[in-house]
This record gives sequence, structure tokens and C-alpha cells, in this order.
Amino acid sequence: MERRVVITAESLITPIGHGKKDIVRSLLNGVSGVKPLKTDNLLSGYIKSKVFGSIDYPMEYDFKRSHRKTMGPVAYYACQAVKEVLEKAGLDQEFISSGRLGVAFGSTHGSPTVQRNIYKNFFSGSSDQFSQVSAVDYLKSMVHTTAVNITKMFGITGRVISSSTACTTSSQSVGFGYEMIKYGLQDAMICGGADEYDTTTVAVFDNLLACSTAYNDTPHLTPRPFEARRDGLVVGEAGGAVLLEEYGRAKKRGADILGEIIGFSCNNNGGDLILPNTRGITETIRSGLENAGINSGDVDFISAHATGTKMGDVIESQAIYNIFGGDPPVSGLKSYMGHTMGACGVIETVITLYMMEMGFIAPTLHLDEIDRRCAMIRHVTEFQETGVRTALVQNFAFGGVNTCLILKKI
Amino acid sequence: MTLTREKILNNLSEIFRTRFEIENPGLDENLREAYEFDSIDAIELLVEIEKMLGVSLTQEEKKSAMNVRTINQICDYIESLNASG
Repeated sequence: MERRVVITAESLITPIGHGKKDIVRSLLNGVSGVKPLKTDNLLSGYIKSKVFGSIDYPMEYDFKRSHRKTMGPVAYYACQAVKEVLEKAGLDQEFISSGRLGVAFGSTHGSPTVQRNIYKNFFSGSSDQFSQVSAVDYLKSMVHTTAVNITKMFGITGRVISSSTACTTSSQSVGFGYEMIKYGLQDAMICGGADEYDTTTVAVFDNLLACSTAYNDTPHLTPRPFEARRDGLVVGEAGGAVLLEEYGRAKKRGADILGEIIGFSCNNNGGDLILPNTRGITETIRSGLENAGINSGDVDFISAHATGTKMGDVIESQAIYNIFGGDPPVSGLKSYMGHTMGACGVIETVITLYMMEMGFIAPTLHLDEIDRRCAMIRHVTEFQETGVRTALVQNFAFGGVNTCLILKKI
Repeated sequence: MTLTREKILNNLSEIFRTRFEIENPGLDENLREAYEFDSIDAIELLVEIEKMLGVSLTQEEKKSAMNVRTINQICDYIESLNASG
């Protein structure tokens, strides 16, 4: 039995705004959420890239202590996004705790802020016999901390999936949640991802020469996906969540239907853990279309992974061209906020839904001169007022993991 | 130095206020039922008790604290540690 799956509520906390109104305003005005990298008194001084997709507006939380005590910063983003999703959806507590609602939520590596404090303690050389790892440090920092803090806060008793595949974390969450409902294992799923401010991730990409460094004095001008003067990605922080529901159930309860997920694919390049792979990405797109039961000509918008790295954008362009030729418009939404890692998949999915609903396509920011090696596909360089009915959201991660989500307007 | 019960109560009051955001708990209130004070909190409290007494508790001493439910019982527990120490 295969069931239809729809998205019925969303919430995003991003460098370009919290919630639909702020985010759409930023998209329409070409506002970037990339700011100077904040100091952390540890790594930031050594990192060459001095830019970061930052949440620099105040966040107010009203979580009670019994919930806060097991949460690091990443879980705050996750739980706040889910709280807003559940408020919008208006699901009753009986269903939430029925076992028919599950959670698919992850982050790149739990809470690095908390992990850092643990190591600080370990290596402090302190003779204080009471300086030890706190009972809650593991719960705050473990890799599935977002998913289980969500279950605890809202009393969710269904399945828990906690992907931690870097840049495909939340696209996998949405995709695996979709499959849970499609094949009848759950009736609804809360899906998403989050990542907090963290210089460890920046340092990793910095060491690999993959971070942007040429725009340290003008952070709002980077990253520049597909652009000739791009010089790498910009790490960012964010959180995002969606509620997926079985179509019949959503219809019956009169839920707002934001869009349908009609297909998902996920594969691995089967080789290099860092370099993207044209064959692997092409195959992901091909199998995504097959899973959705549509042809390449049916897709009228592609949200590209488009991190702004030298090679990644070229390889992604080649893969898109292999399947679609130069037809559907392509945008790289990371140009607005940098690479929010574990959150980027759900963010790009939700922004695509916003654009579908409101009838526009946001251009890739800063795309002044398209790199000729990326020029064979149809880039969106200016705001377009246009209807999008079927869209593809693609994401790729370290480790050779590729995902492709296919969304349809109902 | 052995702590008086009054001093222990004062210390606990401060710990519960600053560490657990619990203001003036009743001496015989069930902390789990009234404040969701659970086993994780109990482990955190044991660290605070070690600091208060200036000693490291043994695993057995820690395990014996797991059935403690009220402020009065915590005082009894600390006094028993004081007595055995």
C-alpha cells in the first residue's frame, strides 16, 4: 500500500529571518544573513574564513526547566521550530501521543558547544575532584539530542529517526519521514534539522580550503553559488521543521496543505567521502524522478544544493544538465544565508513551498557573472514572478550521500 | 566539620533555587511530583552535595540516595554521610 504524503505545517529559524513573513521579505529584497564570524576565544582566531550565516536577532523561549535541562543550543532551535509547527497544525494531544506520529530530526553532531565544555573539563588539568562531566552533558550533546528532546517536550511516542549526515541531515529527515507515511508505518511525522553556532565545522571546511575567505570584509556578498568569483561555502546556523501527514487524514481534519511530497531518492557515490560525483548526483535525480513517477520535463523549478565551492557547483550543474538539459530554472538558496548544514534540506524545502504558494522564484544572490562551467543550465538571476507546480530540492553531503525531494503543489 | 541541619537546609535552599530553579520547596513535598525533579536532577544534586561536604561520595553512597524524595529526606541523607564520615 502506498499512501500520499502532504506537508501541513512548517517553521523556520534562519539567518534571514524567523518565520515565513521575515524570510519571504528577505528573499524579495535580496537580503543576506551572512555576517562576520563571532569570536569564540578558541578557534575563530585561527580560522581564515571570517564569515558566518548568523542568527543575530533575539530568540525568546518559554521552555520549562524540566525540558531545558537536557537541551544544548541546537535542541533549542529544534524544539522551538517544532513547537511552532504543532501550534500551527493544531493536532490534539491524543494523536500526538498515540504512537502514530513519529519524529525524524537530526543535526550534524549534536551540540558542539556542550561537547566543547566537556573536553575543556577533561583537559583543564584541574585538580578539582568535583569537576566532572554533568549527568545531562551527554543528553545535551549526543547526536540524536534534537529528536529526543522533541519527543520529550511534546510527548511523542512514535518512531524516532535521527539522521546525522551533515548537509543531507534534514533532507533525509523529510525523505525518511515521507517513506514512513507512504508505506503506512506512521500517519504523521515531524521532520527537520538544526545546527547551532559552531566554529569546529567552520575549521573543518577551512582546513579543506572549502570556505569563503575573499569576502571577509563584505560578508553579505558571499557565498556566490555558480558565480565566477565564488571562493567557497559559508557555514551557518539554523533550525527548521515540517509536519508531514497522510493525505486523507490531513484532508479529513481540514488541515492547510502546503504541498505534496511525490518522490524521494537517496544514494551514495560509493567512493570518495569529500569530492562530489557527477554520476552519483545524476543517478539521485534520475531515481527521484522515477520514484515520483514523473518525467524531467514535468519539473519547473530546481532548488540546487549550490554551496558556492569551486568544484561542487560545476559538478551539480553537469548533473542537472545530464537530466534536464538547460530547461527548468535553478536557484541556489544558500546564497542568502550560507550553508546551514543539518538544517539546509528542510529550509530549502520550505522556502520552495513558500515560492510555490506565492508564485515567485527567488534568484541566486550575487550571480553577476555565471561561471562558464556552470552556464549550461538555466540560472535564475533576477526575481521571477512565475507559477511553480513541481519542484525538485537536491542536497549532497560529505560521505558521498545525495538526496532528492520532489514537491508538488496541490 | 559537621554541618548543622539548619546550615544544610540553607545550603539546599540555595542549591535548589540557583541550580534547579525551585524556590522554597516544602520540607516534605515530593520533589518529583511537585517539581519534576528526576533521577538526572538527583545525580546533579549529588555533585552539589559533594561540593558542600568537600568529599567524594562512593558509588554505594550515591546509589543509596536514589530513593530520596523530599528535602527532609535529603537532609537526613546528608546527616548520615556526615555521621559516617
